[in-house]
Formats: sequence, C-alpha cells, structure tokens
Amino acid sequence: MTNFNWLLDGSIVGLYLLVTMVAGLMVRKYVGKVEHFLVAGREMDVYLGIASLAATEFGIVTCMYTAQNGYEKGFAGATPGILNAVAMAVVGLTGFGIKPLRDSGVMTIPELLDRRFGSRVRWAAGVVIVLGGLLNMGVFLRTGGQFLVLVAGLDVRYLEIMMTALLVGVAVYTILGGMLSVLVTDFLQFVVMSLGLILVTILILMNVGWERLVTTVETHYGAGGFNPFVNPTMGWQYVLFNLMLNTAAVLTWQTMIARVLAAKDTKTGRKVYTRTSFFFVCRFLIPGIWGIAALAMLGPVPDTLEAMPRFLSTFVPAGLMGILVAAMLAADMSTDSSYMLTWCSVIYNDILAPFRKRPWSERKGLFWNRTIIALIGIFLLLYGLWYPLKGDLWTYLGVTGTIYLASISVLLIACCYWKRANNWGAVASIVVSAAIPVSYLVMEQVPSTVALAKSIGPYYSGIATYLLSGAAMVIGSLLKPQGSSREEVA
Amino acid sequence: MSQHWFWWSLTAACVIWYSTITVYVAIKGAKDIKNMLARLDAQSRNEKEVEES
Repeated sequence: MTNFNWLLDGSIVGLYLLVTMVAGLMVRKYVGKVEHFLVAGREMDVYLGIASLAATEFGIVTCMYTAQNGYEKGFAGATPGILNAVAMAVVGLTGFGIKPLRDSGVMTIPELLDRRFGSRVRWAAGVVIVLGGLLNMGVFLRTGGQFLVLVAGLDVRYLEIMMTALLVGVAVYTILGGMLSVLVTDFLQFVVMSLGLILVTILILMNVGWERLVTTVETHYGAGGFNPFVNPTMGWQYVLFNLMLNTAAVLTWQTMIARVLAAKDTKTGRKVYTRTSFFFVCRFLIPGIWGIAALAMLGPVPDTLEAMPRFLSTFVPAGLMGILVAAMLAADMSTDSSYMLTWCSVIYNDILAPFRKRPWSERKGLFWNRTIIALIGIFLLLYGLWYPLKGDLWTYLGVTGTIYLASISVLLIACCYWKRANNWGAVASIVVSAAIPVSYLVMEQVPSTVALAKSIGPYYSGIATYLLSGAAMVIGSLLKPQGSSREEVA
Repeated sequence: MSQHWFWWSLTAACVIWYSTITVYVAIKGAKDIKNMLARLDAQSRNEKEVEES
C-alpha cells in the first residue's frame, strides 16, 4: 500500500514533466556550435551555476545511498557530506586546481593534461575518466527506478519500463540542447527538488520528532551512530578514504568541473564552488535523516537500500507525495542529463581527438556529440539491467569513482604545481589508479576471491589507490631523464 | 538536544540554509538564464552579420 494518488499526485508529476520537457526543448535553438553544446558558450553565471551543480550532484541514487548511510550508520553516515563541503569550500576559496584549469580555457581536464604530458596521456586520461564515470553511472537508473516503483506502489515488473522511460525523456532534451538544456532544466529541477526535500524533512521532524530519531540511533548504534571514529563499520580508514575521495572529486569529477568550465570567468567558477559547498552537507544529512526515520518507524529490514522509499510510501500524504515524486524525478533527470553530457564531452573532446587531425565542422561535431549521448544512453540501459550490486551503494560509487579520481587528481595537481612532473609519471599514475579498484571490483565478483576482497575492504583498497597513484607520479617523473618537458600550464 | 548539539545544530542549519538558498537561487537563477540566453542570442546575431558582410 502507498499513499500515492494517481489523480492528484499523478497530475503534479505530469505537470512537472511537461514543463521540464518544454523548457529543455525550447533552448535548443541557441545551440549553433560545439562550444554551446558542451559548455553553454561559457556564459553561465553564479546562481544558475549553484542550481545546476546542486541539481546535478543530487540524484535519486544520491538520496538512496545517503539514506542507506543514515539507516546503517546513524548521523555518522553524513560524514562524507561534511568532508565534501569542507573540500569544496577550501578549493573554491583558494582556487586550488580549478583556477589554472579555468584560466587555461579548455573544455575537459584531459585537454589540459595534453599541454603538459602529451596527447597519449590525454587519450589515456579520457579513457579512465569515461570508464570510471560510466561504471559509476551504471547503477543510477536501476536505483532510480527502484525508488519510484516502491514509492508509487507499482509492480516491480515495471522497473525496467520505468528506467527506459526516464532515460528516453532525459536523452531527448540533452541530445537536442546539450549543456544549455541541461542548465535550464537543472534550474527548474533544483527548485522542485529542493521544495520536496525541505517539505518531507520538516514533516519527518514534526511527526517522527528529533528525540525519537536520536533515541533510535542510540539504541541501534550507540556512540558509533554519532561519531564515525568509534563506529565499527567506519573508523579512521573510512574518514580518510572519504576525505581523499571527496577532495579528488571536488578537483576533478567531470560533472562538477563542467560547471567551472561553463562559468563565464574563473571568479564566477570559484564563487559557484564556495557558495554551493554547504549544500553537500544537506545532500548527506537530509536523506540521512529520512533513513534514520525509516529505521525508527520500520525497524530492521532485509534490504537497507529499500528502507527509506518503503517508509516514505506510507508516511508522506497524498498531494505531498506528488511533490516528492516530482522532486525525485527532478533530481534524477538533472543528474542523468549532466552525466551523459559530461562523459560525452570527454569521449568527443579527448578520446576521439586522434581522429580529428583536421578540425571537424561545427555541424559534424554536433552530430557526433548527439550520437555519443544516444550511445551512452543505450549502454546505461544494458549495464543497469545486468550488473548485480554487491555491498553498499556509496562504497560501490566510491570504488568505481576512484578508478579515475585518484590518478586524474594527481595528474591535475602535478600538471599545475610540480615542474618536474612528466608523461612517465602520468602514465604510471593512471595505470596504478585504474588497476587497484578494477582488481578489487573483479575480486568482489569472483567466488574464489570474495573472502580476500572482504578482508581487505573498500577503504584500505581506496586509500592505497590514492597513495600509490601519487607515489607512481613521483617515481615515474623522477625516473625519466630531464630535458624533454612540454608547455607550462597557466 | 544538548547531548547531541553538533548534529542538532547541523540539522537546523541545513533546513534553514537550504530553505533560504532555494528561494534566493530561484529568483537570481531565473535572471541568470534570461541574461545568458540574451547574450547567446546577441552573439549568434553578430556572427550572422559578420558572415553576411
């Protein structure tokens, strides 16, 4: 049973979808060049940037894993959000990494790396970025569909149809309008998403109550539910891994960086980062509270990922349910569209770069960008259908993200701030950074190595990836004879 | 509340900050979109004029 009313809530959701699609399609007429398609002609201002960055980095998948964190770890589950906010505020205030990146006028990070480390490193960086990014995004659709099916009380058999419908809708306006459609729809989606998140949180705080939330966490997790360092499933290794992961993400996660690159100037890009930073605390804490409320009201459930949507399906009243579903659809659509466009930009700009010895016409460039987005959509459908998720969702996202975050963050820092860095170090860093997380993911799936993977755990494997990737850059660069360095950056 | 003041304060800050920033960004962001589209429109008209001349 669910409180979703098809007439009332269905109308709210239908209206939201209609307005978003119309807005997304209307701006396609402004797309005349590849630069418009990929970075909105670099005309984005601060507040549109804040709306777009916040909407992009909050999807249903985010809501699901942060609520799962709250359900399984209590308030301490919001630790990654706090670390993310601190990292983003520091990077925004100092301009560390993002200032030279935006000043260089590139469209992607690998394009900047090309200037220092050469075209082969650019290509390899593009491949690991897309590999890590697509593996990461691969679980978005299924998780999003899972939430909507549970909250709206649909038959689980409709999950695949829901996933396909969601993706096709998003793909249509992203293919036609590129970054311009993404920015405009992100803005609408930010407003709808925020309205739903705030209203449901207030409802929970009023009806479940703060005292009950705290008592639930105390009963189930004791002091570990409030302090990550004494939580047996977290500890210093969890905090350190998340600090490294979130700092690297702030510096190099292509969907975040795309907002800096689309900003009208470097100062605007930095302001977008500084002013959005606290949103990353909300991003973990608000759904975390939903997860804790689910634990308080439902008690232990077999699938912790499903606890929050199951709780909301009967807790949120009709009318508000429509706003909640519209909010979650908004969150998901903004994330999917930005992610598809972002990985497309890297495939087009960096992986296909060797095939564009002579510059392509704007028309041909736009055709290929649109084709790549359609192909990414097909991949997501296929991958989302068959990949069986093991362990918790946040850890999967962290491990797959690390495939590129570790090396690309090392490469970016070395490229901007270490004169001795060179292509030997860059290649070594990319290889090490991809090999460790991929091996870990394979070990998790192969029956004979499952136990070993479990004993190492994702946090030690993640920390090792960041440290060894940095070490590989230093050792590789020092081993190469000096005298063949390329252009300095910014 | 006093025992877990950190999480209570952070939750209160999230609800207040997020509500405020949503209203603020909704107003200012709409203006940003209008200006961005106007600039892109002006750019494309200029480019067309240059091509024609």
